[in-house]
Amino acid sequence: MSRALRFFALGALAVALNVSLTACMTHETRPLPRINAIQASTEIPANQLLDVGVKLLDENVPKDEKVQEKERIFPDVRRAEARYISMQIRNTLEGTGQWGQVRVIPADADALDVHVSGKILESSGAMLRLEVTVSDATNRVWFKREYEQPADTRSYRDNTGRARDPFQNLYSTLANDMLAHRQQLAAADLEGVRRVSELRFASELAPYAFKSYIDSDKKGLYHVTRLPADDDPLFVRMDRIRERDYALLDTINEHYALFAENMSDPYTNWRRYSYDEIEAQDEAKRQALTRKLLGAAAIIGGLVAGTETNTYVGQAAATAAIFGGAYAIKSGFDKGAEVKMHGDSLKQLGESFQAEVQPMVVEVEGRTLQLRGTAEEQYHEWRRLLRELYENETGVAPPEPAAAEAAAAQTPAQQPQSR
Amino acid sequence: MTQNERTAQIDRQFDASFGVFDGHIRDEQAVIAGQRAGRGSGSGGAGGQGAGSEDGGAGAGGNGRGSGSGQGAGQGGSGDQAGNGQNGNGSGQGQGQGQGQGQGQGQGQGRGQGGGGGGVGGGAAGGSGPNTVPADIPDGSDDDVVARQLREAAMNETDPELREKLWQEYRNYKKSAG
Repeated sequence: MSRALRFFALGALAVALNVSLTACMTHETRPLPRINAIQASTEIPANQLLDVGVKLLDENVPKDEKVQEKERIFPDVRRAEARYISMQIRNTLEGTGQWGQVRVIPADADALDVHVSGKILESSGAMLRLEVTVSDATNRVWFKREYEQPADTRSYRDNTGRARDPFQNLYSTLANDMLAHRQQLAAADLEGVRRVSELRFASELAPYAFKSYIDSDKKGLYHVTRLPADDDPLFVRMDRIRERDYALLDTINEHYALFAENMSDPYTNWRRYSYDEIEAQDEAKRQALTRKLLGAAAIIGGLVAGTETNTYVGQAAATAAIFGGAYAIKSGFDKGAEVKMHGDSLKQLGESFQAEVQPMVVEVEGRTLQLRGTAEEQYHEWRRLLRELYENETGVAPPEPAAAEAAAAQTPAQQPQSR
Repeated sequence: MTQNERTAQIDRQFDASFGVFDGHIRDEQAVIAGQRAGRGSGSGGAGGQGAGSEDGGAGAGGNGRGSGSGQGAGQGGSGDQAGNGQNGNGSGQGQGQGQGQGQGQGQGQGRGQGGGGGGVGGGAAGGSGPNTVPADIPDGSDDDVVARQLREAAMNETDPELREKLWQEYRNYKKSAG
């Protein structure tokens, strides 16, 4: 019996020491080594320069409010983050000079050479986790990866107003991964992506004229079957329409850029204070657990010692160990209250920032929806004119779009990925 | 009508529609530029530049860019639990009279920093008189969809040069459609 108790006491002590040591190891400041996105050192030929659309990230907000609370997710903050983080990815890619135009585009937009899409798995002041998929206009998936990045604490201490994003390493890593994949593609592949992108756009607006120019294989990968003549009257007009499509996407991107600029300072502050609270809460949790375990070990050790000693001093020491253990356990519970206090602070911080950012999200979404709605009328008109032009040039009336008419009301920037 | 004439007619309709679209985009970009210029301005909102809503008037060729004056009010953000009190809100208003007979009025909102006095630069541009119809433009009662869009775009356009181009597109379109 006494041997079993002693064994248990030693085990509990070992666990407690292990927890303490782990606490010491994980609780460290993290000025992380900086990863930079690789810059272009040579000029990329124009016909191989791929435009990138960073689709608004999936917010990934759980419907269950209890789960939201447990995971410290504030829905409106997450909505704002989906736009903000998308813009950070865009800025990083744009800054490398490795790509053509890089734009943040609505999640259902699909009119560019390369698409970056994904969802937020975790976002707090301490950690960012994203699942990212990169694909191109031919439907080729470049890669799908999960990125995880602890905050670089240097960014939180930098009060110059131009601090590097605490998760810049993640964006840079993604940019470098994209570059590595692109560099594996042959020049002909890159040119093929651009051609498919162009012809898919044309095919969406005038399928009767352009659908035969591209085909897809069993895997759903698009390839060009033939090219339109340089002076093809429809294709010439198509170029002018695509310029407008780019202008629309640029303007939507500008709205998101302005939103991110407006959000940047309060968001950085929120992340900084959240980080402090999360760290303090985690530390308090570790201390609470350690004290409880050490207290339990001391009580058990006291009981064991009490049964094995016959001296007054030994009995006194055993009693002291038991009382000391009880005090340590109480102290552990007190730390538990501290954990709750930090949790409350995090909640208040989140609610406060949520109230601040919510109108900003509503405004940017309202403006972009309004803009796209206005553009829809023009796209409808252009589709009609293309049909008339086709009929005038060929003498053949294009087949009446029945179900396609509903889709025609959408701008190409609104077409779903799967067609 | 020959094939070439028909193609030319369709192209004119394209041009008209592109003109309308480009006008919308330009207006939107002007709004964004105005908001960006006003963002974070620490002083009271100066008269901004933007498209105010207009009252129609005569005065053809009225200068679309009136100078506006503005007032700004700022309020420091109250500190939250963690002492975050760096955000201020402000609002601004502007009114102005342009050289034409149009009037513009608007409101802007922006965000400042520094815990107080965060004013806004988004004051409205005043004084624009784009909503003027040239004397040779018909009343538009028989306008079709494209013509109506062109007319609306021209009437809402604040840039006099672009406005005149839109009116010219309208004239050309009406001529070809008629």
